[in-house]
Amino acid sequence: MKQAKTVKLALRAIGMNKMRAFLMMLGVIIGITTLTVIVSVGKGASAKVMKTVQNFGANAVMVFAGGGKVMGPPDEKTNTLTLEDAQAVMQEVKGIRSMDPALIRLGRTVKYEENNTNTVIYGGTTNYGDAWEWSAESGDYFTEEDMAGMARVAVIGKTVVDDLYDKTDPIGTNIKIENVNFKVIGVLGPRGTSPMGMDMDNRIVIPYTTASRRVFNTPYISIIRIAAADSNQVEKIENDVAALLKERHHIQSGFPEDYRVRGASSVSKMAKGMMGTLNLFLGLVSLISLVVGGIVVMNIMLISVGERVNEIGLRRAVGARKKDIRNQFLIESSLITLMGGIIGVLVGLVVAVLIPIMSKGKMPAMPSWEPFVLGFIFSVLVGILAGIHPAKKAAEMDPVVALKG
Amino acid sequence: MIELKDITKTYRKSGGMEVKVLQGVSLKIKKGEYVAIMAPSGMGKSTLMNIIGCLDKPSTGEYRLDGIEVDKMDDDSLSSVRNKKIGFVFQSFHLLARTTALENVQLPLIYSTEELDMNALAATALEEVGLGDRMHYVPSELSGGQQQRVAIARSLVNDPSILLADEPTGNLDTASSTEVMSIFDKLHKDGRTIVMVTHSDEIALRASRVIRMRDGKIVSDERRAA
Repeated sequence: MKQAKTVKLALRAIGMNKMRAFLMMLGVIIGITTLTVIVSVGKGASAKVMKTVQNFGANAVMVFAGGGKVMGPPDEKTNTLTLEDAQAVMQEVKGIRSMDPALIRLGRTVKYEENNTNTVIYGGTTNYGDAWEWSAESGDYFTEEDMAGMARVAVIGKTVVDDLYDKTDPIGTNIKIENVNFKVIGVLGPRGTSPMGMDMDNRIVIPYTTASRRVFNTPYISIIRIAAADSNQVEKIENDVAALLKERHHIQSGFPEDYRVRGASSVSKMAKGMMGTLNLFLGLVSLISLVVGGIVVMNIMLISVGERVNEIGLRRAVGARKKDIRNQFLIESSLITLMGGIIGVLVGLVVAVLIPIMSKGKMPAMPSWEPFVLGFIFSVLVGILAGIHPAKKAAEMDPVVALKG
Repeated sequence: MIELKDITKTYRKSGGMEVKVLQGVSLKIKKGEYVAIMAPSGMGKSTLMNIIGCLDKPSTGEYRLDGIEVDKMDDDSLSSVRNKKIGFVFQSFHLLARTTALENVQLPLIYSTEELDMNALAATALEEVGLGDRMHYVPSELSGGQQQRVAIARSLVNDPSILLADEPTGNLDTASSTEVMSIFDKLHKDGRTIVMVTHSDEIALRASRVIRMRDGKIVSDERRAA
């Protein structure tokens, strides 16, 4: 039996009733479209998670003052974390390369001449660059002398530069933070968005001593930024730090902590969790569409077999074996679902391109080659499963009866 | 060439009642014969045709076609025998709609195991029935007589040992009937073996041998000079 000819005949049979063929394809189109979207969104999401983890720092662990589950720096009323905590961590937990304890205040007004903006004030140590792996793009960080002397010097982020300056070089200029005069000595390189969606470039870094005594007048710290010597040690450091703080803060088991420890692995877990729910929902939509699509294909194929009884009888009379008839109908149903699958992948890729645009980047999606493979496998599978019953029915017909019918 | 010996065929109806359609038919048909089988409807002539055409199996009896015992074959082998040795012509043509004459004629070749030049063979068969100029017409563009000629070309394309025609003019007007019957005359003259079921005396008169059946048995078998 000439397979090419069979495919050609099957295509003609499909072409003879285009509306019916389209209805047969519809379920598969929806199912494969959804599948393609899932894969694209999944790829986009994992790329976003990767980027989030990278932004956070692949070997970073952060301690935040205050309990709860949310990430990000605490408000000024949360006074639970101290420099002594930081020193204890540095002494007792192994594998730490660098540490930067910091006092952070959100949404503070900063002025340069007539311009002003709200930004994050980060009072850190000279370890900032190492702990955050974040270098100054131009100018310098402050020094140990600046720390000791509570110098009023500031290193400012990219967003702050954009908000306050038109074309002037910020370095050497004077700005007012909470009405205290500061001299800009450096500009930080661009960093992007934090795992919580905060613009990390909207910050000003000043010496901790200055922040603590001259500006905000508090002995407490808000966060501790820790860089592990080895990224394999991150989870261990996370656990060790948590255990140490639990002991130092006298937290009874069963009571909530007044601090949070977050490492790169918990950040990626959190980011993946948000995408997981959506994928589960879309996965169900895809599965249901494919099953319903398969049932539709099977029923229309049964109708088609009923209408083509004479043709089946004739083919048997001129020498078609049972399996030739069976294959003909199987090829027909698989071709229909395959076409539906191809349309579905194309529509899905269009949707995948549109999703990031429509959601303004909040929902990432990444078109790729995998949907073509999955679409091919699933659509042909549906075609064969849905076609097998009608095809067998056609093949088992008595040719004598079929010719009379 | 065709050798039937004590062929019986019994159907079991849904009520459990048995109907004996053929009750011991023995028949020999030689190569090149043109046989007309006549019987009132329901008297077993179609069943006999189906058995000769390997579409149906006898309940008992022996059937040899070209020396092969076909009554003992399985379904796939019978399909192969039909494909190689039998050409069917039906009362209602059974052409595939929206499919050109050329492709309709090629249909048996699709199921052949040999590598064949399908286009050339189909074209030759169509020329044999005088439709060389209508190869790319679809059935709806052809007259009834022309459609039946396409069906005859289809039955010839695999160069069968016998042509089996079941009331080939049953759906045709007089002019078309004449047209189709003259094709059979020509094929007979060319040496083809033809077995035709009909209940028209006029058509049976064209055959070289007329077999009459009644109640599942042969009641007369006369040879005529062509």
